[in-house]
Amino acid sequence: MPDTTRSRASSVRPSLDRLGALVTLCVVLALWLAPFVSVRANRIVAGQPLTAIEALPVSAAAALWAVVLIVAAVALLVRSPWIRLITSVGGLLSLSVTVGFAASVLTPAGDSFARVSPASGFWFLTLGMALLAADSVTRLNFTPGLRLAALALAALALWLVIASGAWDDLSLMKEYASRSDSFGGAVRQHLVLALGSLAGAVITGVPLGILCHRLPALRALILPALNVIQTIPSIALFGILMVPLGFLAATVPLAYAMGVRGIGTAPAVIALFLYSLLPIVANTAVGLAQVSPSVVDAARGMGMSRWQRLFAIEIPLALPVVLAGIRIVLVQNLGLAAVAALIGGGGLGTFIFQGIGQTAIDLVLLGALPIVLMAFVAAIVLDAMVDLAGGARA
Amino acid sequence: MIAIEHLTKRIGETTLVDDVSMVVDTGTITVVVGTSGAGKSTLLRMINRLITPTSGRVLIDGQDTMDIPEDRLRHRIGYVIQGNGLFPHRTVAGNIATVPRLLGWDQKRIRRRVEELLDLFQLDPAEFANKFPRHLSGGQQQRVGVARALAAEPRLLLMDEPFGALDPIIRGKAQADLIAIQRRFGTTIVLVTHDMEEAFHLGDRIAVMNDAQLLQYDTPAQLLTRPAAGFVERLVGSSDRPFRLLSLAKVRDAMEPGDAPGEPIDPDVNLRDALSRLIWAGADRLPVAHGNDTATAHISVSGILSHGRPPQ
Repeated sequence: MPDTTRSRASSVRPSLDRLGALVTLCVVLALWLAPFVSVRANRIVAGQPLTAIEALPVSAAAALWAVVLIVAAVALLVRSPWIRLITSVGGLLSLSVTVGFAASVLTPAGDSFARVSPASGFWFLTLGMALLAADSVTRLNFTPGLRLAALALAALALWLVIASGAWDDLSLMKEYASRSDSFGGAVRQHLVLALGSLAGAVITGVPLGILCHRLPALRALILPALNVIQTIPSIALFGILMVPLGFLAATVPLAYAMGVRGIGTAPAVIALFLYSLLPIVANTAVGLAQVSPSVVDAARGMGMSRWQRLFAIEIPLALPVVLAGIRIVLVQNLGLAAVAALIGGGGLGTFIFQGIGQTAIDLVLLGALPIVLMAFVAAIVLDAMVDLAGGARA
Repeated sequence: MIAIEHLTKRIGETTLVDDVSMVVDTGTITVVVGTSGAGKSTLLRMINRLITPTSGRVLIDGQDTMDIPEDRLRHRIGYVIQGNGLFPHRTVAGNIATVPRLLGWDQKRIRRRVEELLDLFQLDPAEFANKFPRHLSGGQQQRVGVARALAAEPRLLLMDEPFGALDPIIRGKAQADLIAIQRRFGTTIVLVTHDMEEAFHLGDRIAVMNDAQLLQYDTPAQLLTRPAAGFVERLVGSSDRPFRLLSLAKVRDAMEPGDAPGEPIDPDVNLRDALSRLIWAGADRLPVAHGNDTATAHISVSGILSHGRPPQ
């Protein structure tokens, strides 16, 4: 009995937007109670947490409070996804400018050792507003082209904030300033590792997937084998590869001349390549298997040769599933490539492991944040491609 | 002309088609009818070599199909299947253009042919050419499937349960369209169905199959009046056999000289429909005439009924 009355009561009450309530709670509590920035005398000592009111001049603190309250009110009361999107994006922009401003205010003039970094309150504010923005984008149901345009706009905004120097006094940007000569190279090497292994996996994995589709016996052999590779921990796989590749480099001059070494880029790319194979091969085989038999029968009956059928009918129809596999691999590789730093493979992982070694969390972030960003961009771009490939007949 | 000679297909111990021989005349519709698993689809798919016969052969206009490369053979034979098998990633025009493209026709000729076929199937090219199959109704998809099979002007059209997925009203329209197109182009059609009604409606000749064997191959009238003992007799020997017989004959076959009062009936109407008209009008006889011509003949209930029983 109590249950029925309760459910009736909740159906009569205007339903509360759960996400909006969560965002409201998150941003207000984060700004009010949690530290906005943390100030340290140098990059490795423990920091002193400051709330927004403690960290900022009165006028700036009041402005930030006003912005956050507006976002909270919109999240709670306004249903239009466009208004929610614009408000949350505006909130994120003012947040990013304010945190840079706090860093400038708090850094003593001429002190190059002091570090001001965003603290938990800032991250929760960012999380809450980003959640609201992401939810609005989902509700607006953008076409793939619009999603890519939105991504480009977001990238432009980020570049503008960084280029304007608004963040120059933040610890992360100071860390970047002292590494600026090696940062670009690390990003490039990271992309070489992730994209090079992906390219190799697509070139070999797609034909292998086609073979698996055509020959069930081969499929029964290959997919379990690739599954086993997938279960080997990444550090172990890098280690396992060092021995045969080192031997190859030492005994075969051609291999040495081509850059094969026991450590470095070669074992890293090969390990990532091996991890990439399963999603590509499996998705290719599954994508081909879900092509309707009547479509294949019609193609045969009209006199399409085996190759014509493969390239004109089966692969185009399997493409969305194959692209979904490529998306998994790319996001996975961008993350895994960080581990390559342990065997001298370079990439952004270098900063992460150096940072861990020096207990310098800003250096860890300098390696980790670009990886997160790249994986995020890769996911959005490939999702859009999957939608475009399947769009004609979804 | 298609000559099927001692065609047999075995897979392991099972015989799917057992020593079938038959001749399909050029420009006719032959319907292969039987229960599911009777081997009708297998027989059909051996004609365009989607299935390779275990023994026996198929001759098209005297040429053994085994002597023609299989892709080239299939380019010349239209093929329509149940659920139409349209390519979901290609537009209606792209689907219809499939075989002409394989044959390397130039773009202009392909476009002209696509528009011609869309017009023929009452699909406005401006509206439908660039639509994707998922945007079409079931009946429209089926029409595109037949148009695609006819694109390269094949002399022979194979159809495997082409109307199986359509609801009765659309199916009737599709059958009428098929007959009209067959009359217009003189295409030879071999059609597989499990629907006896459809077989009698469409077939110039009907082949009845059961358990891999061809039991009887005859005209509809012969099948009704002289069915082979056993399976065929049970299949056609239902209570409405006289009505089926009446629907095979036309008013012109049963008309008698002399005028009669009332609304005239066209001589091309079948006797079953004519009888319906007589019953509804409460008349014993009605005049026979084309459109507004003056009637010089009439049709009577007793004249119609005499066509509803086997000739003595």
